[in-house]
Amino acid sequence: MTEAVQVQLRKGVLELLVLALLSRGDAYGYEIASRLAKGIGMGEGTIYPLMRRMQADGLVETYLVESPAGPSRKYYRLTASGLASFRAQQAEWSQFSHAVNEILGGAS
Amino acid sequence: MTREQFINGLRGGLVGLAPATVAEIVSDYEGHFNEGLAAGRSETEVAEALGDPARHAREIRAEAGLKRWETDRNASSAAGAVFAVLGLGALDLIIVIPFLTSIGGVLFAFFMAAVACLGVGAMAMVAGPFWIVGAPWPAMVLTGLGLMSLGVFFGAATTLCTIGIVNALVWYGRLHLRVFRPALDSNGGTV
Repeated sequence: MTEAVQVQLRKGVLELLVLALLSRGDAYGYEIASRLAKGIGMGEGTIYPLMRRMQADGLVETYLVESPAGPSRKYYRLTASGLASFRAQQAEWSQFSHAVNEILGGAS
Repeated sequence: MTREQFINGLRGGLVGLAPATVAEIVSDYEGHFNEGLAAGRSETEVAEALGDPARHAREIRAEAGLKRWETDRNASSAAGAVFAVLGLGALDLIIVIPFLTSIGGVLFAFFMAAVACLGVGAMAMVAGPFWIVGAPWPAMVLTGLGLMSLGVFFGAATTLCTIGIVNALVWYGRLHLRVFRPALDSNGGTV
């Protein structure tokens, strides 16, 4: 049960985290995946379905850049609506986590 | 798992999607292997970190199915969306299945009732006056018309119900794909 909760929690904030990473600068898939795998223990492969969905939703767009490692890399960049969505979700999140912390703090 | 096994597993799960889409998805994962190898990891390590290819394929298909229902409302895309959501195989979706099948059964029964009303109405209107000797034919025609419009009404009501239920299911499936957003964003899952 705890594990299921953890998975849902991670899944839930994943999009917000990707938006946050991209708001600091464009990145390619491997970069985003390893950053999130290290940060919150996400399976690296989860990122690609998510990126496709965010692209379909118009939150991110892609462009190709020649890579020294071989074939060109697909970079992701936030669109205007992606940035707007990030700002909105960020505000929601801080409000939500603040409320949760307040209750948790009172319980200990 | 080797790189080849991973990619094959992924392709296997994506059968039925447009070839260009599959190529695009596969190239995302191929790129991931290239980067991982360049960073000094082994194929097995990268494959392990990527996780189960069949699962990723299921999520991609589910999203594709939901998108199709949103842009293209017809019976086949409705079925696609329902199966896509069920294909996610989340535990609580399995709990929902008996409930869904009974709703499906009721909707089917209503559709059949609508068809029957239409059929009987048409027969009463066309053949009724000949069958029942002495029956006043304007009454038969009116009865037929009445039955037929009842059938049309039933059919329309059932269609609306079906659309609503599929929409609810799509919303529920979305909730599994991304928990945080649709709960907050009012235009998240619906059109």
